[in-house]
Amino acid sequence: MGPGRCKIGGVTSPTAPVDTTGYPWPIETTRLANGLRVVVSEDRTAPVVCVNLWYDVGSRHEPPGQTGFAHLFEHLMFEGSQHVKKTEHMKLVQGNGGSLNATTNPDRTNYFETMPSEHLELALWLEADRMGGLVPALTQETLDNQREVVKNERRQRYENVPYGDAWLRLLPLLYPAGHPYHHATIGSMEDLNAASLETFQAFHQQYYAPNNCVLTVVGDTTPAEVFALAEKYFGGIAAVPDIPPAPDGNLPGPATEPAVETVTADVPAPRIYLSHRTYPFGTPGYDAVTVLATVLGSGRGSRLYQRLADGARIAQPDYIGSYGVDLAHAPAPLIITATAKDGVALETLQEGLADVVRSLIDEPVTDEELNRAKALLTTAWWRQVSTAGGRADTLGRYATQFGDPAAAADRLSRWLAVTAQDIAKAAAETLRPESRVTLTYIPGEQA
Amino acid sequence: MTLITERPGTGAARPYAFPAVRRLSKHGGTVIAAHLPGQILASAVLLLDASAAREAEGREGTATVLAKSLEEGTRKRDSAAYALALEGLGAELAPSVDWDAFRVGVSAAAPMLTDAVRLAAEAARTPRLDPADVARVRDDEVTALRMDWAQPGPRADAALREALFGADGRYRRPLHGDPASVAAVTVDDVLAFHEAWMLRPGVLLVAGDLNALDLDALAEAAFAGTSGKPLTPEGPLGVPVPGSRRTVLVDRPGSVQSTLRIGHRAPERAAPDYVAMTLAATVLGGAFTSRLNHLIREVKGYTYGIRGSYAMTRRAGRFEVAAGVQTAVTGPAVADTLGEIARTQREGVTEAELEVARSWRAGQLSVEMQTPGAIAGALAGLVVHGLPDDYYETLRREYLEATVEQVSEAAARHLAVDGLTLVVEGDAAVIREDLAEFGELVDSEI
Repeated sequence: MGPGRCKIGGVTSPTAPVDTTGYPWPIETTRLANGLRVVVSEDRTAPVVCVNLWYDVGSRHEPPGQTGFAHLFEHLMFEGSQHVKKTEHMKLVQGNGGSLNATTNPDRTNYFETMPSEHLELALWLEADRMGGLVPALTQETLDNQREVVKNERRQRYENVPYGDAWLRLLPLLYPAGHPYHHATIGSMEDLNAASLETFQAFHQQYYAPNNCVLTVVGDTTPAEVFALAEKYFGGIAAVPDIPPAPDGNLPGPATEPAVETVTADVPAPRIYLSHRTYPFGTPGYDAVTVLATVLGSGRGSRLYQRLADGARIAQPDYIGSYGVDLAHAPAPLIITATAKDGVALETLQEGLADVVRSLIDEPVTDEELNRAKALLTTAWWRQVSTAGGRADTLGRYATQFGDPAAAADRLSRWLAVTAQDIAKAAAETLRPESRVTLTYIPGEQA
Repeated sequence: MTLITERPGTGAARPYAFPAVRRLSKHGGTVIAAHLPGQILASAVLLLDASAAREAEGREGTATVLAKSLEEGTRKRDSAAYALALEGLGAELAPSVDWDAFRVGVSAAAPMLTDAVRLAAEAARTPRLDPADVARVRDDEVTALRMDWAQPGPRADAALREALFGADGRYRRPLHGDPASVAAVTVDDVLAFHEAWMLRPGVLLVAGDLNALDLDALAEAAFAGTSGKPLTPEGPLGVPVPGSRRTVLVDRPGSVQSTLRIGHRAPERAAPDYVAMTLAATVLGGAFTSRLNHLIREVKGYTYGIRGSYAMTRRAGRFEVAAGVQTAVTGPAVADTLGEIARTQREGVTEAELEVARSWRAGQLSVEMQTPGAIAGALAGLVVHGLPDDYYETLRREYLEATVEQVSEAAARHLAVDGLTLVVEGDAAVIREDLAEFGELVDSEI
């Protein structure tokens, strides 16, 4: 296929000029007097509306001894607020046909519900009540209960599954002590056990402020309606002056010494994770890394699959790949993983992986590889924005992290503009063995 | 600071409508397409009557090995060329097997969909199936299953299935087989399965902006070179529920959580009170505010989440509660779970609970069916269960009109707390004694 065959979503040749917009829907924004930024993207095709709030607070804000607090706090936001009784939040959203959730990561905390559009006002009222009125409803009993729920989440997702703690082990190897990404969002059991009610009250008062939030509404509504409702429900919440920033995430460059950790654990097969710090999400360098990760490890046409799963047949085909973790406040990690096939020595897999990673530096990416990666990324982009929820979260991200929701429209075209030279340059800068983190799991009795 | 104290009322509801459905019978098969104006992404699913239920005894996993072999090259091109051709369109093949069908799905930007479907059909109809490749894929699948079975859950699932469907042939073994049955699959099994079940036209489901899609070309791409008539569906397997409770203990030494899989048989999808059953299960364990999640997560803090549901396929159904609970509270969590099931069976549901369940299930039909992939899945449901094109509108109405009496009656009829099988996968040395109070206990051989 050639350029011009498909106006949007098409695969263009690497040299063709790219003018693809990744966001062909309207975007309107306003800012309330208290600093709340409001983003609206109207789309009448389905009778649903998504309300999404990005609070610019994540685990990178947590001081030592308080790891896991941002995430535990996220749980407390569902347990009632000034005018919403305990358990009522979920009941009102689900009981009116909606889906809801929230997530916390190192960068930020987001809350979102997609509702039949006649319940837009209810969703805004619920969000405003917990932004402005959580503290009076917060009780020791709720904290104790949700602390146990979070500890069970930690067991279920990280402790009770083979290789489940890889992310927890990689972060401190990638980022030095004191760095905002040094610890994982789920936190430590010790810190969770020590969490006091006063800390959470203070946490809310500090960070859950209208001027630290972006409210995005996407779907079956109008900007005028949303702006008026935002003023009605959020307008009376006071701004918080002087919100302290997270510790600085700047790093002088890639790591200068490799880090190696080997874990003997109850796992079914040897597995290797390689990881490097790259560039912050949103930079040209990270766009190159995104395409690089797809060339390297996404799909059966990727180098890792073709060379190690299909070619040398030393890696299990279902457990090989690479991906970037889209973090914006410091150089974000690229993670590369492979699991040994039965009877394959760990060293063989290690050498094979290192060879494929090195190939990104000294073996230019072909047009075919590049086009394949860009086509997959194009589909992934359209999939992400195929729902009101996906669109709202995307706009909230760009408004929060780059000050402009409309910047979302450029991401796809920036990926499509990445050249083989860009990839080679990013690989040469970030994927050198001397900056590599290697985490290896070996089956055996746990030490 | 001022907050609005009064909860707002409901705005004017927009009428619900499932996307307009078009059918086209051409080139030997049927295309069923849903129109999603403005969607850039489009999805297609080739739905074939080649489910796991068609596998031979002792060779469970044959269809899964076939699904994974489809991309090992076709008669036209080798595996690397195939991957490049398909992924160059931005598409990836998603073959899957369930109890009712074999599906080959692809998603891509609308202008690429016909080419993607042509490649999907090429893999489904004319895979190369070189014996050495099939044997390697089979061996890789055994390894992958071993990896999967090292996680908490799959062994418990297999133990419950064995307990509930022990007398029902293929249905007693896991959907994708187990490491032993997959290891026993031969190259000939895979070739024979393909030959027997994958060459009828089947049905092509399409979801996307139909103004940008050519259904005739899609039909031609999907059905080229196929022949044969649809197969006659087989009848339901029945609902045997034992007269007493039993516990199956699956040992997972050192486990910090116990995995609960608690269930019994239930009717198949065509059950006349499907809607009432679904709502009863929603009240018991479906919604976040369900009885089980409220008590065991929000009050007791034993778990990160607990769910109860009916799973209903064309020939069989089952009721199941699933959760991971902290090891130290395994006994109390099981006791509380049984208590809520018993209460729901005995007393039914309340109007307040049902109101949440009704609105949630009805609302989910629009909230959770936004993507082409979700709509294509909904179309597959129509085909598999023989439902009319306007079914989702009917379903929504039935959800909203269900009464407390109907739903309570369904709970009474289709819950059987005394006939439950309790599968508990966890650290047997720690939890065995805690489980004694729940009746006969056997150690699983899985």
